[in-house]
Amino acid sequence: MTDVATSRFAPPPRPLGQLVGAILWPSFFAAGVATMVFFAFVDPLLLRDMTFPRLSLTRGLGYTIGFFAFWGATAGASTFTWLLLRPPGRFDRALPPN
Amino acid sequence: MSRQIPLEVIADVGHSPYISERKVYPRDVSGRLNRLRIAAVVWLLGMYYAIPWLQWDGRQAVLFDLPARKFYVFGLTFWPQDFPLLALLLIIAALALFFVTALAGRLWCGYACPQTVWTEVFLWMERWTEGDRGRRMKLDAAPWSGEKVLRKGSKHLLWGVFALWTGFTFVGFFTPITDLAARTWPLNGAGAGWGGWETFWVLFYALATWGNAGFLREQVCKYMCPYARFQSAMFDRNTLIIAYDPMRGEPRGPRQRGLGSVMQRGRGLLNQVLAYEFVYRASGHAAAGDAMALARAQAGLATDDAFTASLTQPLPRPAPDAVGDCIACTLCVQVCPTGIDIRNGLQYDCIACGACIDACDEVMLNMGYPKGLIRYSTQNAIDGQPTRVLRPRIVIYGLILLALVAAWAWGVGGRPALIVEVLRDRNALYRTVSDGRTENDYTLKLVNKTDRARTYRVEVEAAAGIALAGGPQLVPAQAQQVLSLPLIVTAPTTIHGRQNLRFRIHATDGSATQIVDSSFFGPP
Repeated sequence: MTDVATSRFAPPPRPLGQLVGAILWPSFFAAGVATMVFFAFVDPLLLRDMTFPRLSLTRGLGYTIGFFAFWGATAGASTFTWLLLRPPGRFDRALPPN
Repeated sequence: MSRQIPLEVIADVGHSPYISERKVYPRDVSGRLNRLRIAAVVWLLGMYYAIPWLQWDGRQAVLFDLPARKFYVFGLTFWPQDFPLLALLLIIAALALFFVTALAGRLWCGYACPQTVWTEVFLWMERWTEGDRGRRMKLDAAPWSGEKVLRKGSKHLLWGVFALWTGFTFVGFFTPITDLAARTWPLNGAGAGWGGWETFWVLFYALATWGNAGFLREQVCKYMCPYARFQSAMFDRNTLIIAYDPMRGEPRGPRQRGLGSVMQRGRGLLNQVLAYEFVYRASGHAAAGDAMALARAQAGLATDDAFTASLTQPLPRPAPDAVGDCIACTLCVQVCPTGIDIRNGLQYDCIACGACIDACDEVMLNMGYPKGLIRYSTQNAIDGQPTRVLRPRIVIYGLILLALVAAWAWGVGGRPALIVEVLRDRNALYRTVSDGRTENDYTLKLVNKTDRARTYRVEVEAAAGIALAGGPQLVPAQAQQVLSLPLIVTAPTTIHGRQNLRFRIHATDGSATQIVDSSFFGPP
C-alpha cells in the first residue's frame, strides 16, 4: 500500500478546517460583491412583483435571500474547483469487501 | 481455501504533515514607527466611531439607507442609478493601493488596514490585562487558577465591550444611530429594543471583530487576504521595503563587550554573495532544505538528500573581529506580529509594520552602533545600486489614477438632478374612445433627486393633433421623491399607425430638463 500521506509526489490532504475555510471564505467574498452589484441595479421589491407578487417580502429580506443565493452558487463553484484539484491518484484503492 | 484475508485501510490520524498555526506573542515595542501607527489607529478608529454621529442639514451626515436605496455622504446623495460612480470609486481605491504599493510597499497593511488597526487596539487591551509578552506566554502555559480566570476574564470583558461598540457603530452607518442608541436595550427601559436584523448585525459584526482582532490576527493577512497574495506583483527593486542589511549584519552572533560596529573597526561591508550565503545558512536551514525537496518532488524530480544536507551545514564560527553588526538578539523576531524573521529577506508574510525597525534601532543605540541595520529601504539601495523613484510603473499608475479621479469628480458633479422614464402600457396598443379619438396609456416615472421640493411641467411634442389629455401637466414632487403617474395621450381619427412622440419634462424653475422619446399608435 502506498502511504499517500507521506508521498513526496502529491501534496498530502489538507486539514478539514483549511479546506472548509478555503471554500467558504472566497465564495463569501465573491457573493458579497455580486450582491452589491446586483442590487445596485435591481430593486428587490420590483423583482418580487415580477416573480412572486403574493409573497410579502421586504427589501431587507430580498437582499438577504439574494446574498445567500449568491453564496450558495459561489460556494458550489469553489467546491467543484476543490474536487477537480484533488490529486486523482490519491483515491485509487481496492473496492470495499462485500 | 477461499478465505478472505482481512485487509483494511488504516486511517492516517495523528501525524498530519500540517501543523496548526502557533500563537504569536508579539513583544511590545516603542519607537518612531510605533508612534506613527498609534497615531494612525487613533485617527482612523476616531473617524470610524465619530462619523455616524455627525449631522448634516438635519439628517445623519453619513448614512447608507439600504431600505430606502439611498446613500447619504455629507452634502451628496447617491441613488441606485449612481452605482457606476461607486464602482469607479472602488477601482480608484484599488489603483491607489497599487500606486502606493509600487512606491512605498505595504503601507496600507502596516498602518491603515482595519485588520491591523483593530488588532493593535485588542493587543493594548491584552497588555493591560495580561501583561507583557513574557507574562502572557507564562499565563497561557500555566494551569487554570483564580488569577488566570481574572486576567483572561477581564481581557474578554474589555474585548467584548469594545467589539459590541464596534458592531453598534457599524449598524449606525446603515440605520440612524441616534435612534438606534435611543432604542438600546436595557439602557432605555422596557419596550426599547432593536429590530431583528439590527440585533443580528450588531452581534455578527461584534463577533467578527472579536474573532478577527482577538484570535485570528495576522493569520488573516497570511491566509485570508487576497492583497497579501498579489502585492508582490506591484513590487520591484525600487519599492520601499523593510529590509535587513546582511552585508553589514552578517555573520551574526554574540561578541565581546566593547567591540565597535563593522565600520568603526574597519571590517566594512561583506560582498553580497558571502553575506547572503551566511543568511541562507543561518535561516533555519531545515526549512530551506525542506522547501527545496518539496519543490523538486512536485516537479517530479528525485530529491537529492545529500545535496540538500550539504547546503544546510552551519558555517564555521567567525573570528571575533569578523562578526557583523547583528548581535542575534532575536528581538526583531519577538516583536513581529506575524512571527517571521525579517533577516531572511522579503517575505509575503511581512505586513511592513516596522516593529522590527524600532526594535533593532533601539538595540543598535544600546550597542553604540549606527541605526538602520533593519530599515525602510529599497532592494537596490541595500545592494548598493541607485534607486529610481520615477519609473514607468509609477508614471502609468499615477496617470491612470489621475484620469479616474478626474472622471469621478466630473461624474459626481454632473449627475442629473431629475430622472424620467416613460413606459408604454403593455396591455393595449391603442384604445378608441366614444367620440372616435384614439388614446394611448403611459406611466411616467419621475425621480426628483434634489433636496428641495420642485414642480415639473410635462409636455408632449408630436405630429399635429397628438396631445396630452388635459393639456400640459404640472407635477409637484417632494425632495427626493419617486413618483409614478399615469399619462393619457389622445389623437384625432386622422392619425394612423406608429407616430413618433417626445415627452419633454422640465422643472418650472428651469433647473432641469429631460427628454424621453416614445411612440404613439393609432389604428392601422
